[in-house]
Amino acid sequence: MKTMNYVLSGLGGQGILFMTKIFATTALNKGYNILGAETHGMAQRGGSVVSHLRIGDAGSSLIRAGAADFLISMDESEAYRHLPYLKKGGKLFANAPSNAFPDERVAGYLDKMQIEPYAMEAAKTAMALGSPRSTNLAMIAFYSAFGVGPLSADDLRATVDSISPGPFKEKNLKIFDTCHETGRKIASGDAHGTF
Amino acid sequence: MNDNAFAAAISGKRAACCMKMVGLNVAADSFMSAAYIGNIGGFIIISCDDPGPHSSQTEQDSRMMARMGKVPVFDPASPEEAREMIKFGFHLSEEFQIPVLLRPAIRICHARQNIKYDKLESNITKAKFKRDPSRWASTPKFRFIQHKALNEKHVQIAKKFSTLTPYNMHTLINGKQYPFGIVTGGVPSSVVRDLFEEYKRDDIPVLKLGAPYPFPENLADEFMAACDKVLVIEETDTVIEYMLRDKHKTLGRLSGHVPMEGELLPEKIEALLNTALLDCALEPLSDSDCSREAFGLVGNLELPIRKPTLCPGCPHRASFYSIRKALPKAIFPSDIGCYTLGINLGVVDTVLDMGAGITMASGFWNAYIQDDVKKPIVATIGDSTFFHSGTTGLINAVYNDARFILVILDNHITAMTGMQPAITQGDRVDGRKGNAISLETIVKGCGVEYLKVVDPYDTRHMIKVVKEAAEYVNDPDGGIAVIISRHPCVIAFKDKAIPEKFEIEISDDCDDCGFCHLRFECPAMVRNDETKKTEINPVLCAQCGVCLQICPRNAIKKV
Repeated sequence: MKTMNYVLSGLGGQGILFMTKIFATTALNKGYNILGAETHGMAQRGGSVVSHLRIGDAGSSLIRAGAADFLISMDESEAYRHLPYLKKGGKLFANAPSNAFPDERVAGYLDKMQIEPYAMEAAKTAMALGSPRSTNLAMIAFYSAFGVGPLSADDLRATVDSISPGPFKEKNLKIFDTCHETGRKIASGDAHGTF
Repeated sequence: MNDNAFAAAISGKRAACCMKMVGLNVAADSFMSAAYIGNIGGFIIISCDDPGPHSSQTEQDSRMMARMGKVPVFDPASPEEAREMIKFGFHLSEEFQIPVLLRPAIRICHARQNIKYDKLESNITKAKFKRDPSRWASTPKFRFIQHKALNEKHVQIAKKFSTLTPYNMHTLINGKQYPFGIVTGGVPSSVVRDLFEEYKRDDIPVLKLGAPYPFPENLADEFMAACDKVLVIEETDTVIEYMLRDKHKTLGRLSGHVPMEGELLPEKIEALLNTALLDCALEPLSDSDCSREAFGLVGNLELPIRKPTLCPGCPHRASFYSIRKALPKAIFPSDIGCYTLGINLGVVDTVLDMGAGITMASGFWNAYIQDDVKKPIVATIGDSTFFHSGTTGLINAVYNDARFILVILDNHITAMTGMQPAITQGDRVDGRKGNAISLETIVKGCGVEYLKVVDPYDTRHMIKVVKEAAEYVNDPDGGIAVIISRHPCVIAFKDKAIPEKFEIEISDDCDDCGFCHLRFECPAMVRNDETKKTEINPVLCAQCGVCLQICPRNAIKKV
């Protein structure tokens, strides 16, 4: 398999490293190698946090700008900040209102680069489902609905199932299923994904 | 730590100690001496570098320390290679009775990779220290002999390093001459590998030096002879570039092809490779660079600047607020930890190295008192940093009658580096219980006579105590005043830190002065640009209630 490059971005405290762990664990369960670079320490205190994850046989832990297949962002501004990492034809998933995304100032660039942008209000959905800190799970589930990349929705859901501690399992799976469904509707063109 | 591991290694055990490059600076004395003396059991020093820098004071290159200390060095290209190098390093260290340095850069340390383990063998060597004072406590005369022996080891190791595939190797085809080649090692070598694979450039040979010192002369000579020009891509300094010793053939930092500072990100390496290839009249890797356009576009979006900040509910924020309120005109030397972020609250004026909060406070006092000025000075240092390197400076300051207030920010944990336990709590890193050491006892033991303990969440009381301490400092019979500002870290001890939760609302009295989010800098306070009022972000709010004490308009209320 060609190496698949994921850039995951957001803010300190949103659980980027947990998100990375879900993707990485799923990939390992499928028998792929993984290599990734993460932000720790000083840069993490409330700042923008980014995690690079490469699935397949990569040499460097960092993804080159212009070489990411997917950019999944838990914050709209952080999605734009890391936009240069997406390659031509890459896919962008953001926690943002789908009817006002993307910002018109980047729309031309996305068109030119054939980057498809998808958005859902993941934080609001997670909050509505009683788990305001689960924007990360919401975004993974949303991404999983588009059937792109080497990890299927079932694979990702199984990891969420196995990795979630007992008291949170049911809630986490509910968030996963809800947000997957929102994504599925957008992916099949049924609806705009405002929740 | 270096001494600790060294003692184990000369008792015949395998030993390793790890730190980042600034830690190796502190251990430099022991590191250099250990190379002369040598070891019995394998001895590896792991010193991580931070090109960028991302969360360190310098971008120094630990391979330079290896050269200075005459210690063989390994520079892994991936976490997996670091694992292999450790294993090889132990064998090398035992064969030559020499310490070995592993220098993983941040992209190895802050990385995630699946690692294949060989069968793990437990260390079955029993500690057995053989007395030999002429070696273990050698005097200068013997140091000369040891230095000579060390240099002889280097000749042997350099030969070994010339045939050390896959850590040191080149991709030359026998007898072929090339217009251009790459010399690289460590993290950049993995980027070069990815780039050449992606762009299918097997026309450019690569010399990879994952073990660059002692310099593998034979291997490097072969490569240099086969290439008309070489470009050196290494992090972060000019170690290989100087050791190649051919300025007519070599491109790199010294020729202006590689930036002198900053991390060599993959896109930077691609761009600098393109430039060097064009300079040598060769085809570049790629002709367009869309990411540059995208960076320009993003730069114009005026995205929020997210500087690192103290967490919501952090007791350090409350301490800094009170210190500034009590003595706004003081000099504020500080130290290294989460509380360095007190810079955002205007209560951190200097950060030099660990312990310098105290030693620089002495220095400022002495500088001003020469001019007969009694400058108010409030130094801050964390509890862990104080134990690490505060006491020596404090004893010196007390003994020599420097005058300042020292606030020890005691949050019961080493938070910035990932919540390592503090020795005041009696928890050891390995999970066992230890003998808790009292901060008060140590401070008094340093000769300090004025010691107060406050809870920073009570800002009114802390402001009063800081003002009283200032009077003591200025009293001719006074001295150094130490205030322990004690409150558990909100991240490590969530329940203990905020036993009473305050639900907060902001009343209509809010006049948009911005003090709570701009000066007090609570991340949970957000300005609503439409209503021109401050709002509370319930996801971020820790409900500590400190903000009830700080609003200049008293607009923050308990629900």
